[in-house]
Amino acid sequence: MNEILTQEKSIYIQIKEMIEDDILRDVLLEEERVPSTNELARLYAINPATAAKGVNLLVDEEILYKKRGIGMFVAAGAKARIANKRRERFYDDYIRSLMAEAASLGITKAELVRMIAEAPEDGEPG
Amino acid sequence: MSILSGKGITKTYGGSEVLHAVDLELEPNKIYGLIGRNGAGKTTLLSILTAQNPATAGSVTLNGEPVWENPEALSRLCFSRELGLLGGSSASAIKVKEYLQVAETFFPHWDKEMAEHLIKLFHLDIKKRISKLSRGMQSMVTIIVALASKAEFTFLDEPVAGLDVVAREKFYRLLLAEYEESGRTFVVSTHIIEEAADVFEEVILVNEGRIMLKENTQELLDRCYHVSGHADAVAAVCEGLEVRHEERLGRSRGATVLLAPGQSLPERADVTVQKMSLQKVFVALCGEEEEESV
Repeated sequence: MNEILTQEKSIYIQIKEMIEDDILRDVLLEEERVPSTNELARLYAINPATAAKGVNLLVDEEILYKKRGIGMFVAAGAKARIANKRRERFYDDYIRSLMAEAASLGITKAELVRMIAEAPEDGEPG
Repeated sequence: MSILSGKGITKTYGGSEVLHAVDLELEPNKIYGLIGRNGAGKTTLLSILTAQNPATAGSVTLNGEPVWENPEALSRLCFSRELGLLGGSSASAIKVKEYLQVAETFFPHWDKEMAEHLIKLFHLDIKKRISKLSRGMQSMVTIIVALASKAEFTFLDEPVAGLDVVAREKFYRLLLAEYEESGRTFVVSTHIIEEAADVFEEVILVNEGRIMLKENTQELLDRCYHVSGHADAVAAVCEGLEVRHEERLGRSRGATVLLAPGQSLPERADVTVQKMSLQKVFVALCGEEEEESV
């Protein structure tokens, strides 16, 4: 939470991803209550229906679940489920755009593979 | 659950028609944004919906009952107008305090406590005459009347005009808090579209006396894209899609695309596809087409 909303993505997608990030970073723990849609709406000054749309996507993916009359909670195993989902999406989110940009610059696949092989681990600048 | 419904609303001022048979249905428990260019007919539409102004033709009903000269229906409607428009009229000569007293007698569900709280919150000097207030302070009065009216359907005409960015944000939070608590319906007209877009569940776009669209804000934004790149590539991507606004510069072309349900943009690495803000969508839909540069 507490990130700043941008224009590049739908607001409800950003709400969804912020909750996911917080689960991955242990800001929100499994079996813990997440902020209500009204709390999210107030925090970001957005329409509660939009906040609810983001939260409901996470319910559909079984990352959150609803306790009647109490609120939304982080499901057991949510953290692993988010990591898995993002791993599956990694190709679409990163590799595809990497290949497209490389192609437009005339960088061959072999060169790309070499660059990756030579890149330092864990994102430290070389 | 109340429904406020306008059918075939037409308004003529001195021979020129400013609203052309407008149909509009407002549901309970929603925040609507009303956007449109100057002179599009927004204020006229709001004043007719709240029976402050007679329509030349057409009807406005609350749960099927006409609102015109209907005290029961009128007690559930509030049109908090833009005070800057009063100009030198006698209404602007009265003090804020007196204006709020009139509002208190006019709105049967008036929340005096809330009005007093908001006066303090905005540091408003109620002994001043309306005409002597700054634009921003006049907007604060508009906001106080709207929120404290407690009317089921509340219309705010340009409530943030002249307010600084901190006060605007304060207003949106107050509006959301009141909405959350009361489930009232609000219709907010504004020219400051960018920051208000996230507050509106639905957007009503008025253009040249007609409602161009009324749609869930997020769903609208989800189907609007800006496509740019080499003109040939952009043309190929836009083939068969609804293109609403184009810019060209040399071989480069940019286009606003509105996808219909079920449509998607073909994937191509050589064009840039961007999401659009509500403000950009508005300009693409209502702006005049630019002259093609030669």
